Amino acid sequence: MAKAVKIVLAGEGGQGVQSVAEIIAEAANEEGREALYIPNFGVEQRGGVSVAFLQIGDEHIGSPKFNTANIVVALSERAVRRTKQYVGSDTVFVYDSGLEGIEDDIPANARKVLAIPALQVASDELTPRVFNIIIMGAVVKATAVVTEDRAKDAIEKKLGYKFEKNPKLRDLNYKAIDRGAELVAALL
Amino acid sequence: MPEKPIKGEKRYFMTGNEVVAYAAVMANAEIMYGYPITPQNEIMHYWTRMAPKYGKEFLQTEDELSAGFTTVGGVLAGRRAFTATAGPGNTLMQEPISMAEAMRLPIVVVVQQRGGPSTATVIYSQQEVTLTTIGGNGEGFRIVYSTASHQELFDYTIKAFNTAWKYRFPTFVLGDGYQAKMRESLTMYDPEERGQKMIPTEAYVGKPGVPGIDRPPGQYRNTYNVEEEIYEVVQQYTREFNAISPEVAEYESFGTEDADLVVVSHGVVFRAVKEAVKELREAGVKVGYFRPITLRPLAEKELKEMAGRAKALLMAESANGQLARLVKDAIYGATAEIHTLYKPGMGISAEDVAVRIRSILG
Repeated sequence: MAKAVKIVLAGEGGQGVQSVAEIIAEAANEEGREALYIPNFGVEQRGGVSVAFLQIGDEHIGSPKFNTANIVVALSERAVRRTKQYVGSDTVFVYDSGLEGIEDDIPANARKVLAIPALQVASDELTPRVFNIIIMGAVVKATAVVTEDRAKDAIEKKLGYKFEKNPKLRDLNYKAIDRGAELVAALL
Repeated sequence: MPEKPIKGEKRYFMTGNEVVAYAAVMANAEIMYGYPITPQNEIMHYWTRMAPKYGKEFLQTEDELSAGFTTVGGVLAGRRAFTATAGPGNTLMQEPISMAEAMRLPIVVVVQQRGGPSTATVIYSQQEVTLTTIGGNGEGFRIVYSTASHQELFDYTIKAFNTAWKYRFPTFVLGDGYQAKMRESLTMYDPEERGQKMIPTEAYVGKPGVPGIDRPPGQYRNTYNVEEEIYEVVQQYTREFNAISPEVAEYESFGTEDADLVVVSHGVVFRAVKEAVKELREAGVKVGYFRPITLRPLAEKELKEMAGRAKALLMAESANGQLARLVKDAIYGATAEIHTLYKPGMGISAEDVAVRIRSILG
């Protein structure tokens, strides 16, 4: 049986990394897979880096936190510095290409480093509000822990009540998933 | 009779705190007393959310001393009552818990351990083992279940109420901040549909009739005048606690028959140990594990047998040897070499355990 896929998502409070981790975890659970999601929760609400630990596999998951991830996604300068510790020789490290001043902090030991223009795509093509959903699309594509359709179902479940009032939001979120997946697919 | 939130058996995906609240409702708990402290707050939140719908009650007190004493009061009135706390709240609650020990009151306490000493972190630890098993000014007349998964949080929260009311010792479900906040799958059910009857509760005080005439008087004391009196009471409790210990004690073990090294751990750290041991066994390394489920009483006989066979033990815990102290006391006389992996206030991963095992076995 394949080992669980280990994912670290990190960003500033309010960037929505915890929601993304939770939606992916629920999507995997809906597929009948085993998922374990744990947020770090210390003083993040008061301005720290927010980190989500997510594992998805076919058997009951072991320890909730882990030392080395299969994929690390860092969405802010501070998040890059904070999550370096979870990178190993098997890790795909993803960060936003718009981040500045982090050149020296990009982990040199990663299997692959992917810089994706998620912030730019969000503000130029969609809306900054779906930035985290673009990231979700990227994670789902890069890890294949759930299908993109299942990811969309999970978003529907989570935000369906908002989509009822404003159906345009649904298109926007679905587009964000697709664009996130495309951004990563081009680099994998 | 209000309906229950769960019918049949169903898979859920939620946080551990939510699981505890559901379990308490499904166990027919009637009232929760509590005072907020991270990381157990959501037990209160979910309980109070469900309370009006399912005919339950909640009392928020001014601190953990009161939360503990009101739980004691609820039990004296014959209610299936519980509370939940963590860290410094657990420290404060030792006073009312001691009273429950003195009066043999079946209070149920859920503890979600956080970092210590003092306020420390709101995150996680296994540093409330000593406090929960033998805290207070007494002899630790308590039963403590240490859970490792959401399924166990559900199963053992339900079980705790029955253990408490069957044996009349304060009973604990010892979780931690990770279990409180993480989300994973579990199957929830109505225990009565599975044939697991909830033991009926009864009032200690306020019974009908004249005491001494219509019924024996109820004498529930936590105060004594002379040494001989308290000595007799403690001796009696000790005999009763020792007598029930073999049937209350629970553990699980794997590979201990032929292992060169047995890893001893409890709670969420056991998940890391299980993963590491399984992987190393598949690679041909002779390792095993022993996991006490009840930290008090411990499965002393089985622990001692295991430690008598094993060449070496590795104690792994997110504390500076709090479980190890209990275990060493139980296995006194065994010759197995003792190694440690202590990370007080920090999580332990399967990688950490595997690296430590390999460094010991060379």
